[in-house]
Amino acid sequence: MKKGLPLILVFICGILGIIQYFAPHPVVQDTDNFFRNNLLKILAAFALVLGLGSLLKVHMDKIKRKRENWQYSWVLIIVFIITSIIGLFGGVTGEGPLPTRIGSFSFDNQTIYDNVIVPLGSTMFALLAFFMASAAYRAFRARSTEATLLLASAFIVMLGVLPLGDRISPHLPSFAQWIMDVPNVAGQRGILIGVAFGILATALKIILGIERSWLGGGGE
Amino acid sequence: MKIIDILAKIDRRIIYLILLVVVILPLIFPSAQSVRVMPPVEKFFNAVDNIPEEKALIIDFDYTPQDMPELEPMAIALLRHAFKKRIKVLALSLYVQPLGLAQRALTQVTEEFNSTAETSADSIIYGRDYVFLGWQVGPILAMLSMGESITNFYNIDYYGNRTDTLLLMKHIKNYNNVGIVAALSPSDIPRYWVAYAQNRFGVAVGAGVTSVSASEFYPYLQTGQFSGLMIGMKGAAEYEEMVEKELSVAGRRKASESLPSITYAHLLIIAFIIIGNIGHFVKRRQK
Repeated sequence: MKKGLPLILVFICGILGIIQYFAPHPVVQDTDNFFRNNLLKILAAFALVLGLGSLLKVHMDKIKRKRENWQYSWVLIIVFIITSIIGLFGGVTGEGPLPTRIGSFSFDNQTIYDNVIVPLGSTMFALLAFFMASAAYRAFRARSTEATLLLASAFIVMLGVLPLGDRISPHLPSFAQWIMDVPNVAGQRGILIGVAFGILATALKIILGIERSWLGGGGE
Repeated sequence: MKIIDILAKIDRRIIYLILLVVVILPLIFPSAQSVRVMPPVEKFFNAVDNIPEEKALIIDFDYTPQDMPELEPMAIALLRHAFKKRIKVLALSLYVQPLGLAQRALTQVTEEFNSTAETSADSIIYGRDYVFLGWQVGPILAMLSMGESITNFYNIDYYGNRTDTLLLMKHIKNYNNVGIVAALSPSDIPRYWVAYAQNRFGVAVGAGVTSVSASEFYPYLQTGQFSGLMIGMKGAAEYEEMVEKELSVAGRRKASESLPSITYAHLLIIAFIIIGNIGHFVKRRQK
């Protein structure tokens, strides 16, 4: 029963998910609508609460056991509580019942987002450019014919997509576009078809109960 | 031979420093660079431009601060285009993190238009000209459910208003009333719009993606599943160029201003690769 019920549920939901594409009958379409607009929204909301609960539990545990870098878990928990309160009661831009302004200092949701999340996120990603430049210098070597071809096409595409490429030669952007349109698409299409078959096979195995590792215990 | 040794082993801190200078200088002294508009962006522009009066443009803001430099200028250019042509806009995010950036872009472009508006008809008014649907759980759920009823799935907007009370939503029921979905995302989301919204409901999809993920999306452009494709900073600059030239909409062109930085950084990386290879070959010959 412990494993049988989830398997039956997955089978029914999986079949319903497929059948709505092929059966325009109102009963099938209404069931699908009910699933999407009601059941799945409720399930997703539960998953969200579960996720947040799990996150807090992990960090509380880390603090309790004084694991490595446990101090940062306090930062997470405190920030989580503060931003949740501001988000729940302060409104998006400070129009909620909770006051989110002291004099000219504003701390509503949007201000926190603009002044904390945006600079932090941008900074983390901007660092990548430096690592890429260094890595390209160290690792991008024409060691074989394939690597030389890769290097040549990389140069053409890099120069072709820049405004400078057009000034070097008006044909360069068109050639870069051709590389993206023809050899690139040929490769990408092969990958896409392969991935699609893989997804199809995995989905069928899960729906039919052949693949059971998602139940935990490695399918035993 | 000493020079070769030096070239083969440039310290990474020197590379970082040169790159920093090359990237920062053009940003300190910005100048918008003119670009040649390539067919994928031209197609996108035309698809938005030809949206019938009774249909809306959905903009899916799915970029985070990490991808903002490439994708936010696309959103700004799209909003300028839509507001100038009086195309109704439905804004949404399929994830939570981009909500703040969507709000930022909407506020910026609305203020740009309203600062020069003289009458209510000229102004961009929330609920009449655009609606920010916000976020609901499940990206795929949203894509599928909007095919039947947008207000049923998004009961309330980002600001807590009931969507069925908003003037714009009285005319926009589902994808039948949508001209095109513009998905601005660094991930697989534009592909999902094709798989779930286009295949089932026939809505047109255009995508704005980061340069690093662009190659994955070309097959969709070639088959016509994407009505247009904007790629990275250059794609955004091309759209900015079209909006300014074709519609005479003035405004700061962040992507065009950033192109010199991108150009010099790319040239520098190419130069470093060449230097690295020269060092490699000379050393190999010596052995």
